[in-house]
Amino acid sequence: MNSALKEHKIYDPQMECMNRDELRELQSKRLRETVKLEYENVPLYRSRMDAKGVKPEDIRTVDDLRLLPFSEKTDLRDEFPFGLFAAPKSQIVRIQGSSGTTGKPIVAGYTQSDVEIWTEMVARAITAAGGGKDDIIQVSYGYGLFTGGLGAHQGATKVGAMVLPMSSGNTQRQILMMKELGVTMLCCTPSYATFLGETIREMGIKPEELKLKSGCFGAEPWSEEMRAHLEELLGIDACDIYGLTEIAGPGVAFECLEKKGMHVNEDHVIVEIIDPVTGEPLPYGESGELVFSTITKTGMPMLRYRTHDICKLDASPCKCGRTHVRMERITGRTDDMLVISGVNVFPSQIESVLVGLNGVSPHYMLVVDRVKSRDKLEVQVELTEEMFSDTVAEIEKLRDDIKEKIKSVVGINTKIQLVPPKSIPRSEGKAKRIIDKRNI
Amino acid sequence: MFISQISVFLENARGTLREMTKLLAENGVDIMALSIADTSNFGIVRLIIRENCIDNALKHLKNAGFMAKKNDVLCVGIPNKPGALDHILAIIEEADVSIEYIYSFNYNVDGNALFVLRLMDSEKVIELFKENNIKMYSQEDINRL
Repeated sequence: MNSALKEHKIYDPQMECMNRDELRELQSKRLRETVKLEYENVPLYRSRMDAKGVKPEDIRTVDDLRLLPFSEKTDLRDEFPFGLFAAPKSQIVRIQGSSGTTGKPIVAGYTQSDVEIWTEMVARAITAAGGGKDDIIQVSYGYGLFTGGLGAHQGATKVGAMVLPMSSGNTQRQILMMKELGVTMLCCTPSYATFLGETIREMGIKPEELKLKSGCFGAEPWSEEMRAHLEELLGIDACDIYGLTEIAGPGVAFECLEKKGMHVNEDHVIVEIIDPVTGEPLPYGESGELVFSTITKTGMPMLRYRTHDICKLDASPCKCGRTHVRMERITGRTDDMLVISGVNVFPSQIESVLVGLNGVSPHYMLVVDRVKSRDKLEVQVELTEEMFSDTVAEIEKLRDDIKEKIKSVVGINTKIQLVPPKSIPRSEGKAKRIIDKRNI
Repeated sequence: MFISQISVFLENARGTLREMTKLLAENGVDIMALSIADTSNFGIVRLIIRENCIDNALKHLKNAGFMAKKNDVLCVGIPNKPGALDHILAIIEEADVSIEYIYSFNYNVDGNALFVLRLMDSEKVIELFKENNIKMYSQEDINRL
């Protein structure tokens, strides 16, 4: 075993470190099986393939993927609840649903084998973040239809850790248990982890009094600056984890302790980056929309599922020894993207500016409005003790600094509205960062 | 000469000042001097209260979600006669020091109107005040009012 493998724990080295040529062969074989399964059992997908004139036997290797039609979130809504299931209902052992709060619900069905695959993906993620049987893992994602809670729970159980199923909410009790039981790993959304960290500080507990060493944080996009803040706040390694209910749940991709992008579980899914406008596949390294095809799922396989998440892929070798391609941080969503006076603005850009400024709170809200046919972006920033002064000039200087920085990064003029501490709603799930008042 | 001042950040919205005064009233805090700096975006309320109320007031303000901070400001007595304020400002001008803000107390002491002064460089001015026999008040003086 070389030294790189020693410091990085790997759950399934055979799969996770597979030679990329062999991996491609495995993917091609599994893709053929999935296309056949989908064509024979899901009427919607069959009719789409027929409309494109594609037969299952046309798909021989991963390269043929581009011949296949896309699938979309709207398909899950239109075919709700069971229309996209490829397995008979008697073989479905689990339903999970979208964590989304708007629109019609979506659900995904899992066979026994699907649950096991998903569990293993999360087990890989937890192992990559340094977790194992000696750890006490606090799961503070919500339990329920949302995949976060149960996903992390199953994965943590699989690695043999002592699992603390706290679910979200009741922050004081979360902290009490974390301290009293000596929790070593935390799984929750990065915004809730930050909130926990801030509350711990307010309660006068120092990070050294806790045994926390790392965490898997996901279910919402976050920035490198927010990672630094969170790591400092809790004294931990904070690893990103990515997933979506339609594909499996959290664990589709995860960071190792190198923290240089999330390894996609490529033996279970094929990942592509496409141009969100033309739908054409883009090479590794280019920024575009993430598209996933599941190749081992049997309950609700998804082919070329458009995530609307924007990022880049990196196939260069990782120091951890895993060969699976890494996806960089999600820099935005094609549907979260704000177009303000013709400029594309991602909330994550604003966040990176705020977290990068000394004494500025990472809690913010973007309010977009259209006044006399012109778009206005207001950035509400919470005042902190460090920012506040008894003189107007000092506060206004700080406000102008924020405005200038945002202008240099995003390229648009904003109105910075300083608001009292704790006045921006804290979320225990996905943080809501945008209020769009425009009637377009 | 230096006394403690509390500054409170207020959103520029109807009712926020009242919210603050109500909180102070409920906690029996006497406001001895008050000034408000208002901008189109936000306001800063500056308050002088008795020393023994300061910690309690800060605690209640913070618990109610206000951003509040304590800092030191200069307190001087300005005689109740024409030209007295001008005399003080002439001294500050002579010292070549900028004034951040200035406001007066709701109290008269020994025929003086009390003023709060926030200066860019207090030390320099204090020396000149002493030379010119300008009466300055300490926190203890204020507490006795």
